Amino acid sequence: MSPVRIFSTLGFFFVLFVIQESAISLIHFPVSGFSLYLAIAISLIAFEDHNGALVTGFLAGIVLDLSPTSNAPFGQWALILTFIGFLFAINKDSISDLTSSPITFVIFVAIGVSAALLMYLGFGALLGEQNGSLSHDGIILAGNLLWTVIFTPMFLPALERVREYSLSARER
Amino acid sequence: MARGGGNRSRLLLVVLLVTALFFITLDLRGVSLTKGSRSVTQTVLSPVQRTVSSIFSPVGRFFSDIKNFGKTKAELNQIEAQNKSLKTQLALNSDIKGELTQLKGVLDLAGRGNFKVVAARVIARGSASSFSQTITLDVGTSSGVRSDMTVISQDGLVGLVKSATSSSSIVLLMSDPSFKVGVRIARSQGIGVLSGEGSTSYSMTLLDPTGTIKVGDTLLTNGSENNKPFIPGVPVGQVVKVDDLVASLTQTATVESYANLNDLGVVSVILSAPTTAPSTPLVPTPNPRVTIYVTPTPTPNPTLSPAATVTPTPTTKAKKK
Repeated sequence: MSPVRIFSTLGFFFVLFVIQESAISLIHFPVSGFSLYLAIAISLIAFEDHNGALVTGFLAGIVLDLSPTSNAPFGQWALILTFIGFLFAINKDSISDLTSSPITFVIFVAIGVSAALLMYLGFGALLGEQNGSLSHDGIILAGNLLWTVIFTPMFLPALERVREYSLSARER
Repeated sequence: MARGGGNRSRLLLVVLLVTALFFITLDLRGVSLTKGSRSVTQTVLSPVQRTVSSIFSPVGRFFSDIKNFGKTKAELNQIEAQNKSLKTQLALNSDIKGELTQLKGVLDLAGRGNFKVVAARVIARGSASSFSQTITLDVGTSSGVRSDMTVISQDGLVGLVKSATSSSSIVLLMSDPSFKVGVRIARSQGIGVLSGEGSTSYSMTLLDPTGTIKVGDTLLTNGSENNKPFIPGVPVGQVVKVDDLVASLTQTATVESYANLNDLGVVSVILSAPTTAPSTPLVPTPNPRVTIYVTPTPTPNPTLSPAATVTPTPTTKAKKK
């Protein structure tokens, strides 16, 4: 990943973070909230190759760690999304391409979002964070899974085009 | 080549994970760099949130409006307003009754609720990416808001100010699992601790093992030292279920809050409380006892001394006769 792409990805994630924190979080979704940020971040991780997935995950995590509403220590999301990047990288062949198998791709993204939230809860529990009862956390996870499955197909084609546009000729 | 690429990837993974762990360690050890970065983000975010909130708020209620489709909106609003007004009235009445019984007018009732507040608009809600429950307000340190101040809505307690910048502040909602507040039962003045559970219900643990909780009991904030973070006497909620735990040493109950945290538009941050309000649970003072001394007169005359005549006589009985 070139330095230019690292900075452009970082900028993209920051814009996305502002949209998530100021607009998406205002919507009262039934069941539970939807994290557009996580859904797009996981989609971008899935698009990337091995090293790209790791760096994209780390950058997405660092920006998410800037959230002033978060109770978690700075770096927790970076750790989790880097690990998610690693998991996607080693399962690259199973995930397949968006164009060849869009349903599999969406399912993997939704599972990735839920896995990230689960890891956040698990790691938070190790650090002594209080994140609510099991039933409540289960509802949040189920809600996120549901909304990710519903909304991801809507933005994926546009996201793929933006990504294609941002890549240099060599990276293509 | 592939082997070299694999090694590089592994090295990259290790470097990124170690960097993340390094940040976590720094944050947990209280290095201000990481906390400062979040404060900067809040400063950058709040003007955007304020603008987006004014444009976006009708969209935010889209799903709840669909749910209430078919009902007359005006009628709903009217009933909601009446209900809220009655609940507040009920909470204050129960509190006043409890205090009057135990303290016999020691408390200055006129001072109750006379808080100095600053009104604020909710411009954002906590991110769906984390499990913490927060709201962002459009007032900050320039309006006198500081961290650890009580936040209320028209119905009662909402939460407390977690952090504040010059133009915005983040409020930790009382539904957050890490939120705890000392409460007292208006009826019996028993003290307990109310904890958020991440949902609309709360759990309350009574501190006194001999005390009792009843369904319908009104809970109010107990207050903190120097009114920080909690002002005393703010309505918190009502007991909806008392847990029947035989093995438990303390009694617990499920509580429903007065404030609807899912529908917060305008809230108030309490800047200061009146000095007449009690800062700690009021301890009833014993009633003054009248002691009557009877001095026997040295004279052989068997008539009573004037002091002895103050002995109260059953006037009602005499009238009956």
